[in-house]
Amino acid sequence: MTGFLDYVPGSSVLHRLDPLTKLVLSLGICVAAFVSDDLIFLLVLIALDILLGVLGGVFQKALRLLSGLLKLSVFLFLLQVLFVRSGTVLFELGILKITLDGLFVGARLVLRLTAATLPLQLLLSVTQLSDLSGVLVQRLFVPYKYAFTLTTAIRFIPVFAAEMSGIIEAQTARGVEFDTKNPVKKIGLILPLCVPLLISSVGKIHESAAAAELRGFTLRTRESQSKRYVFVPADYAFLIFTVLLIAAGILF
Amino acid sequence: MIEFRNVSLQYNSGAAAVHDLNFTVPDGAFVAIIGANGAGKTTAAKLMRGLLKPTSGEVLIDGAATTSLRTSELAKRIGFLFQNPDRQLCKPTVREELAFGLELLGVPDAEVKPRVDAVLEDFRFDPERSPFALSRGERQRLALASLIAVEPKTLILDEPTTGLDYRECMAVLGRVKALHEAGTTVVMVCHDMELVLDFAERVLVFSAGQLLLDGETRKVFRDTETLPKASVLPPQITRLSERLADVLPPADTVEEMEAAIRGRKGEKA
Repeated sequence: MTGFLDYVPGSSVLHRLDPLTKLVLSLGICVAAFVSDDLIFLLVLIALDILLGVLGGVFQKALRLLSGLLKLSVFLFLLQVLFVRSGTVLFELGILKITLDGLFVGARLVLRLTAATLPLQLLLSVTQLSDLSGVLVQRLFVPYKYAFTLTTAIRFIPVFAAEMSGIIEAQTARGVEFDTKNPVKKIGLILPLCVPLLISSVGKIHESAAAAELRGFTLRTRESQSKRYVFVPADYAFLIFTVLLIAAGILF
Repeated sequence: MIEFRNVSLQYNSGAAAVHDLNFTVPDGAFVAIIGANGAGKTTAAKLMRGLLKPTSGEVLIDGAATTSLRTSELAKRIGFLFQNPDRQLCKPTVREELAFGLELLGVPDAEVKPRVDAVLEDFRFDPERSPFALSRGERQRLALASLIAVEPKTLILDEPTTGLDYRECMAVLGRVKALHEAGTTVVMVCHDMELVLDFAERVLVFSAGQLLLDGETRKVFRDTETLPKASVLPPQITRLSERLADVLPPADTVEEMEAAIRGRKGEKA
């Protein structure tokens, strides 16, 4: 099973698009999600994310992320509903007050979060990180070391997640009861584990940096790249669609 | 006693990690688990400790299924030494690290200090040093010491000597041997066949998630038909002895080989 940020090989329409088009499309969906306040439009954006997941052959992964976001969404929604106290009162019991504004703000936040998170996962699922850094260097003139830093940071997320799982497993073996139902207690148990995670992470990063230097990292220039990225008609179509999407977000 | 009854474990992808394992590790045994990478050795070790739950069958610790025991209860009975000690160490000083396991198990404060002091003296650690400032071998010894402080009945060691030089390796295994002689059950996953021959009384050979061979260490290493199926090469001394079987009696240690050669020389003279 692949991690939720891992690349999924394929030959779908999305896989064949230029990496820059995919980057612009992802950012475009995020921008549209943040400029629009309309709940229906945000729902349409989530549907679009899922449709793109189907097009890219990563529907299952998108669903997994959606189910993960659901727990966070419920928590955020409840916070908004309980703490936003302005607007028409729908229910009141002692200090507990549920208002129409609270429901609206909560729903907007949750939908916006979902609509803006899915495109990033879709982008990484259908784009190799080397292509992402390549297009940043070649087309957007980003210095290679910055593009490399960005893609390495993304690449390290699953590595650190696996390391954290290993640390939790090792601590479980020592008798730490992580299976507690109390979330505050659970956070209290996990926080001290950031020390070994940080130490191992710094060690890994040092090793990666040394390996990169040994392979001539500092000698690399924009022209060093052998792969060339070319727009095809589908790229133009998706770029126009992105512009229309942002415009729609502003309008609604 | 650890008992595997028809234990299988499947990954979410459907691939089998281990399949239909049946074996028993009696109290006081020193058992080594060997096999190629991906053979299911670490999975079996984690199943023993209850870190993984079997998809079917059951793993019993002193008659109780690992699925029915609490994490802390299992930690009291079984210590698990990981290949990478850095995942086990999480406290700012050696003393706190040694006390951590005891605190987790609810040992009274008055009892923690003398037990930690005893382990400190035994291992000769500086109590105020940061565990992360120790060498790789010292960190591995500290991880082992923190398990010993809890005094578990069984120790499971997952490739405990990886990355250690000979001196550090002997420091770790010498301590394990002493514990075994004092009655601790030891299960060791290991790739170093020389160490297996030197320390283990019994060997479980794994291949493709299945138990291929189970027997006394010397006998297993002389099974030249089955071992290649598990991609296991017996120790050099055993192979040499096998090749000289027509002229020398069987020998599994340097001393035995020396005695055999000298004995043959004596016969000729």
